Amino acid sequence: MEHSLIVNLNDQTVFTSDQHWLYPLFELEDYIKQSEIGVNDLFLKDKIAGKAAACLIVFLGIKRCHIELLSERAIPVFRANGIEFTYDNLVDHIQCRTEDLITDKMSIADAYLFLRKRAGRVQGLSVKMENVTVRIEEKLVIDRLNLDMGRGEQLIIHGANGAGKTTFLRAVLGFLPLTEGAIKIGDYLVGSELWKQNRSIIGYVHQENIKNNFPISAGEVVQIGLGKSRISKNEAEYQVEVAMRRTSSFHLFNQPYHTLSGGEKQRVSLARCLCQNARVFLMDEPTAFLDQRGKEDLLLLLHELSRNEAPTMVLVSHELQWIEQLNWPRRELKGGKLC
Amino acid sequence: MLELLSLTPILKGLIVLTVAGLTFPITGVYLFRLNLLPLRFMLMHGAILGGAMALALQINPFWTTIVVNLLLVLFMVKTSRSMKIDAGQISTFFMVISISLAFIFIYKFNVPAKDTLTLLWGNLFTLSWTEVIGIGSFAVVLAGFQYHFRRQLRALFFDREIAFTSGINESRLYYAVVFLVAITVALAMKLIGALLLDALLLLPPVIASFRARSLKGMIFGSAIWGGVFAIGGFILSVAIDIPASSSIAALASLAFIIIYFFRNK
Repeated sequence: MEHSLIVNLNDQTVFTSDQHWLYPLFELEDYIKQSEIGVNDLFLKDKIAGKAAACLIVFLGIKRCHIELLSERAIPVFRANGIEFTYDNLVDHIQCRTEDLITDKMSIADAYLFLRKRAGRVQGLSVKMENVTVRIEEKLVIDRLNLDMGRGEQLIIHGANGAGKTTFLRAVLGFLPLTEGAIKIGDYLVGSELWKQNRSIIGYVHQENIKNNFPISAGEVVQIGLGKSRISKNEAEYQVEVAMRRTSSFHLFNQPYHTLSGGEKQRVSLARCLCQNARVFLMDEPTAFLDQRGKEDLLLLLHELSRNEAPTMVLVSHELQWIEQLNWPRRELKGGKLC
Repeated sequence: MLELLSLTPILKGLIVLTVAGLTFPITGVYLFRLNLLPLRFMLMHGAILGGAMALALQINPFWTTIVVNLLLVLFMVKTSRSMKIDAGQISTFFMVISISLAFIFIYKFNVPAKDTLTLLWGNLFTLSWTEVIGIGSFAVVLAGFQYHFRRQLRALFFDREIAFTSGINESRLYYAVVFLVAITVALAMKLIGALLLDALLLLPPVIASFRARSLKGMIFGSAIWGGVFAIGGFILSVAIDIPASSSIAALASLAFIIIYFFRNK
């Protein structure tokens, strides 16, 4: 059987794949990460490559490649990024809808994230809300609200104080009973028995309670993410370390949590969500109590998360200036509805 | 002093006090973290009610106080859930009703004043072997509970909502904690009485919290201080012939003042 993708290192084949579409390149990405192989000397042979594949090849850091059937749309991508390429046949475009969806405005990183989501290689789960109505003591706070978020998507919800932003998040978390409607996280209906057993799929970062001075170390806070999972001490420590390193907070491991700065606390909270293996992150005013540096740190961290683990993320905030910098899609919560 | 240990009541008292001192302060940590102080008042008054009932009806006070406290907790949980009333408010109600019932029992059944006072400062040297085994077994259960559920408890104490979203059944865990606190208060009543049980339950965690950087540190610190106060208080009590409950409370209070002073230095 002929392989769809072959990768050589010094004339020796180190990787092959028989998958289709962009999956061989995603498999190659996994292989590169696992083997920690240097990518500069790799030579890639692919059957077909369009603009999408070209973006992925560039993102992976491959410098040389040979494509049997190459789309003309891939050539500017290769040239702009200094890729040495050869081909057997050149066509105007290849019959693939994905190629049309990669716009010239997209950076390589944006295209990569878009392709990951399209390939379903993101950690996030879809969030669907249908006609959700929430009343608190007879007051209508959320009014027949609808929302449809795909896997790994991000959304900012903003609105005036008292607009119901926190109520919205609490409804998704299952803290509040719905007067009407339904919320689905992936295949789980919020409030169902199945959801109760799997509710750790949602990671929650709430407004920091500055009065909480419970003596707990940052490492212990992250370990909360392990919930009731029965794993050995060594495995637990390993998972906590990985999560804390991901958010650059491992140096805080033994620090008492309440002595951390606002920005450090947010890093630790996000590490907790990663440790929990949460696939949907809900964040309630994460910039509250953060100084300028903390806000910049959080911005970088959220960008990193959306590029790597790509969980579905919903963030509630009223800080318009900071929201602008985050550059995620935005909806305003007004009159109990998303505008 | 060692020859006194050859006397069975003294030996039993030392064993039980040591075990209780090392384990009961764990529930003090629970009381603080879950803000269960109104519940503690209810349980203290419930234990007095149990004691008064036992004296009036001439039944075993040890088991009666435990049963009364467990029933009070059960009523509190049911009422708070069904009527959606804050647990603190409902605890206050049960506290008042318990003490009023206790005095009705004492008055109507002509309980001697001296016997009534034992409810307030405990009766360490009258423990039977069954009670010693009962307290020892409970101490093992309490320590085992803390060890087995340490991760879940940490989450619960840190933030109930975070615990919930981490997949922990925080509601069930909360009620388990409340039941353990109820039994601890009932047992501590027997050992050092209603008025002084805070010396064993609350002062050790307060002192431990001065230096603790983690829940683990808080639990171990509380257990160590509890053990020190229990054994130290017992020795002091035998040495200068004062009630063990008073010597434990005096020692714990003195330690608190000294540690607090040096902490702020």
